[in-house]
Parts: sequence; C-alpha cells; structure tokens
Amino acid sequence: MNADILIIGGGIQGCATAFHLARSGASVIVLEKDYVARHASGVNAGGVRLLGRDVAEVPLSMASMEMWQTLDDTLGEETGFRRQSLVNIAANEADIATLKRRESQMRALGYTHENMIDQDELRARLPHVHPSCIGGVVSETDGYANPYQATSAFRRAAVRHGAKFIEGVELKGLRRVGAQWIARTTDAIIEAETVVNCAGAWADQVAMMIGDNVPLNHGAPMLMITARLPRFAKPVVGAVSHQLSFKQFENGTVLIGGGAKGFADRAKNKTLLDYAKLAFAAKTTIDFFPIMARATINRMWAGLEAYMPDNIPVIGPAVNSDQAFHAFGFSAHGFQMGPVVGEVMANLILKRAPGFDLGAFRIDRFDRKIL
Amino acid sequence: MAFDCAIIGAGPAGMNAAIALAKSGIQVVVLDRAERAGGQIFRKAGNSPLPQSGLLGPDYTDGATLIEVFEKCGATHMAGADVWHLGEDGTVLYSAEGETRQLQAREVLICPGAMERPMPISGWTLPGVMTAGAAQVMLKSDAIVAQGAVFAGSGPLLYLIVAQYLRLGVKVAAMVDTTPRANYTAALAHGSGALRSWPILRKGLSLMREISASGVPVYKYATDLKILGEDRATGLAFNVGGREKQVSADTVFLHHGVIPNSNMTRALQLVHEWNAAQQCWQVKTNRWGQSTVPHVSVAGDGAGIIGADGAQSAGRLAASNILARLGKLSEAERDKEARQDHAALRKLAPFRRFIDRLYRPMEALQFPREPDTLVCRCEDQSLQDLRNGFEKGARDPNALKSLTRCGMGPCQGRQCGPMVSALLAKWRDEPESQVGYFRLRSPQRLLNLEEFSRFQRVQASNMDSEEAIE
Repeated sequence: MNADILIIGGGIQGCATAFHLARSGASVIVLEKDYVARHASGVNAGGVRLLGRDVAEVPLSMASMEMWQTLDDTLGEETGFRRQSLVNIAANEADIATLKRRESQMRALGYTHENMIDQDELRARLPHVHPSCIGGVVSETDGYANPYQATSAFRRAAVRHGAKFIEGVELKGLRRVGAQWIARTTDAIIEAETVVNCAGAWADQVAMMIGDNVPLNHGAPMLMITARLPRFAKPVVGAVSHQLSFKQFENGTVLIGGGAKGFADRAKNKTLLDYAKLAFAAKTTIDFFPIMARATINRMWAGLEAYMPDNIPVIGPAVNSDQAFHAFGFSAHGFQMGPVVGEVMANLILKRAPGFDLGAFRIDRFDRKIL
Repeated sequence: MAFDCAIIGAGPAGMNAAIALAKSGIQVVVLDRAERAGGQIFRKAGNSPLPQSGLLGPDYTDGATLIEVFEKCGATHMAGADVWHLGEDGTVLYSAEGETRQLQAREVLICPGAMERPMPISGWTLPGVMTAGAAQVMLKSDAIVAQGAVFAGSGPLLYLIVAQYLRLGVKVAAMVDTTPRANYTAALAHGSGALRSWPILRKGLSLMREISASGVPVYKYATDLKILGEDRATGLAFNVGGREKQVSADTVFLHHGVIPNSNMTRALQLVHEWNAAQQCWQVKTNRWGQSTVPHVSVAGDGAGIIGADGAQSAGRLAASNILARLGKLSEAERDKEARQDHAALRKLAPFRRFIDRLYRPMEALQFPREPDTLVCRCEDQSLQDLRNGFEKGARDPNALKSLTRCGMGPCQGRQCGPMVSALLAKWRDEPESQVGYFRLRSPQRLLNLEEFSRFQRVQASNMDSEEAIE
C-alpha cells in the first residue's frame, strides 16, 4: 500500500491534516490503531476556547477560531459548534489583579479579544453565579462543539477528497530507506514519502520511530456530565484561580471538567478515575453555582491525553529525519486548534509557507534542558 | 471500613454466599439497595404486602426461610446501600442515607442478577407498555396489579406472572405466546436431558396447564406483534396462523427472556464473552465464579443465566473459593465442600440447554422492524437514526453512541446496549464478539451532585495484582 503521505493517528489533528492535504490533491492514508476519535479527540469536553491561551498559541488559536465560525460550511458536515462566549469568573480581588496583568500583556501584544467585565455584567451574563463573585473576563467568539462529531466531520470531508482511513491497525515500526518511509503495521506494510505524527498520547513512541526524542507525558483528564437541567447558563464557564469549568449544552445537560486527572494506562487503552478529585470538582461547581446542587451525575469518564512539560504542543518538522512532521502534545487544549493545525501541517508538508511562527512548538525545545 | 469480603446484591446467590462465608468467621458485608434482602425473585418474600402471598407459589415463599437464615448469619447487611462504583482494587462507593460512603474489601463478590431482554416491537415505548418483570416488582413490592392486561412474549417468567395473576383473581385479557413452533421441535433434541430435572420441568408444565384451564385466551405461535394506540397503549395486534388479531387492553406486559445484568461487571472492565446459546454477553468466570480479576467473583444470573436454584449453588461455590483464597480452606477442603453444588449445577445444565433452546429469542423480537421505532428511549433514537449513524461510518457501539447520542441518556445504554451491539453485528455482518459493547462507567445510576461533592477519600488502598484466572 502506498501514499504520498502517511498520517499516524486519527484524532482531530490527524483528520484535519488529512482534510487539508487531500483537498490539495495529495494522496493520504490515515492510520488509526483504534477508531477515529476514539481517544482525546472524541471524548474531550468539546471546549472551543481562545480565552486565556498561552501567548505563543494566540495567533494559531485566533485563526482557528475564525475557521470554527464557518467550519460546518467548509466541511459540509455538522461539528456541533455553538458560539456561546466563554466567561472566566473572578472570585476575589486577587483574581481581578491577575486579570488586569493579563489584560495589559494582551493589549501590549495588540490582542483585543479578552475583555474584563464587572460584577453587574457578570451577573447579567450568568444570573445564577454566587453573589460573592466580583467580575471576570469574557471572550465572545468562544463556545463549544461536539468533539466526536467534529473529528468525524473532518474525516468524512477528507474521505470525500480521496483520503483513505485505516482503522484498527497499529503502527509497529518505521524505517527510512532512501526517499521512502516503510511502515510496518499489525496489518499490511505501508510506504509513503512523508510521515506525520499525530499520535496523541502515543506520539512519543512514534517520534522515537522517526528519530526524535520528546519529553511527552500522558494523563487522564476527568469529566462528568449531568442529566438534563433547565437552562441556567448560556456561556461556557471557567474561573480565574479555581478549578471550575463547565458548559451547559442546548439539551440541558451540564458537562463539568476542571482539569483533575485520573490514572492513565495507555498500554491498555484504559483510564481509572480519582473520585475524590472529581468530588472536589463537584464541590467547586456548587460553590460557584448553588443551583447545581440539584443536578445528578449521569456519567464520569476520562480520556487519554498527551501533555508537554510547558503545556503547549509540538507542531512542525522532525529534526532528525527528512520528510517527517509532528503535531501532538496539545496538553488538554488542542481540540480548538484542530482546524488551523490541519492547515498549517498541510502547508508545511506541501512546502508552502505555514503563515505562523512555529518556533515555540519545536520538538527539540527541551533537548538541552534538564526537566 | 475494611472487610474480608464484600458482596454486592442480596438475592439468592448473594445470600447463600454470605451465609457460607459468615460461618467461617470472616468479616462479610452485603450491600443491597433494597430495604430487605431477597433480590428480584425473593423480593419482600419475608414481609409481603400481599394478604395471600402463598398464592405466588412455594418458589417465592421459600425465599422467606432463606432470608431469615441470611439475616441471622452474622454478615453485616447494609440495606438501602446503593453501590454506584466498584473499583478494581476492591473499593466500594455507595449511597446510603443521602451520602456517599466508602469501604474496602479483600475479595468482592458481585451478584447483580438478571435484567429483561428488551423487546422493541412497534409501540413498545408507549405509556401503558411495561415488562413482565415490572409486573412482578409491582406485585411483590406494593401488591399492585393491572386488571385486564395483555401479556405477550415468551419465557418462563411470562407464564409465571400470568399464573400468579390468575391465582390472585386478577383478570387477564390474553396471553400472546411468541415461542415459535420451530423452537419446540429444536428443543425436543434436549428433551431427555431436561427430563433429568423433572421437578422443574413439571412446575413449568403445570403453569401452562393452569393458564389454559383458567379460560384466559392463549394465542400460541404469534408473530408480527404491534402495540396499538397513539399516545398510550390501547391493546396489542398480532398475527396467529395467518390471521390478524387484536386484543384491547390498557396495559401490555412484554417479556422476551432475561440476560445477565452486566452493568457493574462492564464498568469494572472485566472480560466478557458472547454466549451464543443464550444470545447475550456474560462476564468471563471460571467454575468458581472468579473473573479475570482474581479478587473479583461474580455469581448467579449476573454471570450467565442459570435460574434461582443454580444461583444458590453458584453463590456457595464462589464463597468456598473465596474462603480458600483467604486461607480459611485448603483447596482440597474447598473442592470437597463444593462437590454437591458442582454436581447440582452439572445436573441443571441439560435442563438449561433445553430452556435456552426452547425460548431462544427470535430475531423479529430482538430488533425494531419499523424505521421509526425507538431503540434508545432516553435520547429518542430510532432504528433509522442508528442506521444513519452507521452509514456515516460509526461501526463501533461507542462510536455510534458518540455520533447519535444513543446510550448517552440517564440509563447510559444499560437498556439499549444489547440491541445496539446486535444491530451493528447484523449490519456489519460480523459476530457480536467482534462488534463489542458500550464502554460503561460508574456511577451505576444517577448520582446527586451535592451528595457527591461531600465525598472525600477516606483512606488509600493498595491494589494487589495476583495470579491469573484458572
């Protein structure tokens, strides 16, 4: 089996890269060891967030946010994207001070998408917030999408442009012979001129096959979702200095995150939950929104996610091999970046200008550091 | 709190296991969500609200004796304890009196019992349509009956509840039996084996005689069942011998056999196997009920349908093995103690083969037939919705769930799960073992957020990884 480009990993980065490449006429195979969107891309909280990004990520994230607004049309598929705004709540004066520092930093860089709001404005946007909360910050373009649907949408659009997806087949080894990559899998041999590592929580293993070392870690961020409740919060909700994170979907269910991690066993595709930590997230949610005391939890779960030590991804060419590229390590906030990363990767691979400074995302940025 | 053994479920398997374990002086806790022990079959057998509970038959009333022995056996019985999470390390999280509590056990025995196989005929989600199991719960728990109901489907429980209704003088509009003629022929091959369990067979036959002698219309070999009514059930239409029939009724009770309740064993990610004879998934266990996690055992119908008598044996066998694992019995002592129960289960096996073949579910009743018939009642997903999802590329049950929301509602796929896997197997033209199943998770049922928010880890626990399954 042959293709111009072999993408390892059928998450949103792999599917979006496949879409942009196939649309440009390249022949693409996506190899997925489970099924498309099985892991972090399919089971994450679906947050589409520009607010509070690491400054290195802001240009990419802004471009991606613009793409999200019309993504259903671009793909001819439903991603479930809803622009609802995102509000991060300030619980006290220290939070306001943090927000002011951030505001001056962002203004200095010329960014205007994060805007502070006062207590009245906070209450107008979130009538059920605890009265002691004193303000916050909002980003109007933010919202959420359905992660499985969105990832599948990229996949189906890519397939329409000729990309081929192989599911349930795992990469076992990569060799570079002449100008060709030879991929040994649990099924057939695949040959390609270029390989792209979008392997998420398994990306360090693929990077090693390519010849690059990377200090990738993996974890199991936990989520829980409630049964339906009357609508009480339109924006996606976070907090400046508390592990508060939730969104209420149109059907009334509330998805609660907050970043607490369970236990990840990637060799077994398995996650175990830490219920005490989840219970703390439940407590935080009720502390900020007393109305949530009446909610009932329907499901709790965790996905397998890849984390870099600095919590920003690896995006760019391999450093120790030709014709190899990486996009992984999004550290629990990569879903929103999927659309733009697909385009950037396609540009890199097809030797077009990426349009962004990717210096902060080099795979070898930790090579000389002692972690 | 730490125990030598935690038993989840106080039905025939759980109670027998508890009695056997407590005898050896180990610390046993039995958690059950009901206020009184008994499980489904012996529900309120010790404190029946019925004035003449004897009419339900000796198989029910005998439960009172077992419950009494159990209550005095020395095991800690936590009644009203609703287990919502069981961890691989033996951590049990449960709700009681409005709070989440935690305990640890060296050994865990899950006795989750059976659940009814869904019977998604057209109109099955209309108000007024219930299952035969629900009829039994209402009868045993609250002495509530439905006058003039139709009972439809196949399987021993259906005949039992009809006979119980008749004995109590409740009017039954009709019994519509869907067991196909071909099943009787095929089951005959196992007939001589079944005769070895003649007393059970005789009980079944006498139920049938009782029903036909009562004068209630009995329609055999019925096909093409359909609930009548727009907003609620008004009756049942079906076909018998090529002729369309209709029976009017406000209540229709459906039953199509039982399958293991695998929600907890699934959430624990134990290995499950496809049981072709019973057309259902069951947790993989050895002959002691031990699962693929050595300190977790499963007994009774929850480990494969064997009926209440079999469950009692299975509970005792699991207990013997647990005692051996705890060092209270040598393997030789365990084997000696187990001889009688192993023999009882061996003797039941041919009868079970006969029953399984006779009441093998019909494909026509396992799947919805009309495109708009619901598969997932929580999220309103019809057969057509699922088919569309499949055609969009969702070939895995979990992928289909993510795409359509089928199985994402409050029941978390505990109802529609078997149907979804069966449909995908049909559409993919692959065995169900290949298709797999929903990834179920804790909590086992809706859990109040405020209750949960007060939960704090009490103590850390060590996980022991031990010898593999025999």
